[in-house]
Amino acid sequence: MPQLRLIAIALSVPLIGACGVTARLEPYKQTDAVITEGEHVVVLARKQHSTHEAEEDFVQCLSDGLADGKHGLDVHSSKDFEDKMYPWFEPSTAPLNTDDLSVLLARPGVAEQVRSTGVRYVVWVDGSTDRVASGGGITCAAGVGGAGCMGLAWWEDDSRYDLTVWDVKDAESEGTIYADYKGRSVMPAIIVPIPLITRPQAHACRGVTDQLRQFLTSPEGYSASPPPGVG
Amino acid sequence: MSLLPLERSRLPLSWVAAAACLAGCGGSQVIVESTFPRPLIEPLPVSMGVVIPDELYNFIYTEDIPDQSLWTIALGDANVAMLGPLFEGMFQQTKDIDSLAAAAADSTLDGVIEPKLEKFEFDVPQGERDEFVEVWLQYEITVYEPGGGTVIQWPVSGYGKSELLRNAEDAVQRAAIVAMREAGATISTKFSEQPQIKTWLGGIGNAPATVGPQAAVGGPAPADAAPTPLQ
Repeated sequence: MPQLRLIAIALSVPLIGACGVTARLEPYKQTDAVITEGEHVVVLARKQHSTHEAEEDFVQCLSDGLADGKHGLDVHSSKDFEDKMYPWFEPSTAPLNTDDLSVLLARPGVAEQVRSTGVRYVVWVDGSTDRVASGGGITCAAGVGGAGCMGLAWWEDDSRYDLTVWDVKDAESEGTIYADYKGRSVMPAIIVPIPLITRPQAHACRGVTDQLRQFLTSPEGYSASPPPGVG
Repeated sequence: MSLLPLERSRLPLSWVAAAACLAGCGGSQVIVESTFPRPLIEPLPVSMGVVIPDELYNFIYTEDIPDQSLWTIALGDANVAMLGPLFEGMFQQTKDIDSLAAAAADSTLDGVIEPKLEKFEFDVPQGERDEFVEVWLQYEITVYEPGGGTVIQWPVSGYGKSELLRNAEDAVQRAAIVAMREAGATISTKFSEQPQIKTWLGGIGNAPATVGPQAAVGGPAPADAAPTPLQ
């Protein structure tokens, strides 16, 4: 039994090292505009794609994160904004670029409605978290003397998101934030399975929220902060 | 227009049918319920009678999916909740009527609109890689002259998808609501672009080039406004 424990420890050390998150954040801001007192921001998912769309809980996580804390921003509810602007922010009618946005805002009543919500910035979230690789296997068996599992399973999730920030007051794009967080999880099984799980989406939410807050509150050319909590 | 007075007389029938089916069938049951916003468009200056057929009030879709379960999806309440505010926003005046015959005797009406839900399809993923529940539906919007002549029979479809998380029933409900909102967006933004509707509006002295649901609220649309700027 002590030998088995030693083997387990010897195997676990490299495995723990193998799981973790790698992050890449690329913010690009092209104007000096910053959010001011009384101006709101709304986070919306791009829904035009047939194969993927930003997860609702990721969009909610960004909204909550931006609103949180001592320096929380005024965040408008996504659902409420889509309802107030209905039918102009549905998947088939939502503006795809700032030219479309200008045309939309020129419609009588639309700009007034946007103003009534207090929203100055729309953050479009495009992307998703997908399993990009997996492998290994675990075998379990039970007998008279007991039960146990042996083996190793691993998988890799990739959270890739593109955020585009629009200023709806001036109908222009403020810039983009690209985020790519890869996380590898492993589950060794020596008698019992030991899950060592990483959640790149949660890391991405924290990192993108911090970046987005800085993006909205700092003028052009700010320096991107390093992704937090990644290892 | 309020669909409620008429709805009340029919609602018990709808609930009894839904409850009887849902109680007896087992399997997966979904009662689609939501509130739908009034569209942000300028109403057409016409007085419309609205006929909501019983089949729409009591719409229940059932499908036995091999290797899954018997699905029962009730859309009656959602149909009423969606179409009521939609037509109120699209037309200057609306009036609930029981039948086309009742419209013939009402000289205040410029026309009658009758929606039907012609087709409904859905897909719940079974494979590990499929992440979205999908719903597709098609309404048929028929507009009649007060005398009973058909102006247009217009099929309008809506598609919605929703991430499959823990509960497939919830995902079907969310996807159905997205599909209904999509259909409503198409009805409200494309109605006056239909050639037959343009002719009909011209015939009753309302030029569709200057006034139409595609113009938002708050004032008249410019005469040279592109009919579909958000392609």
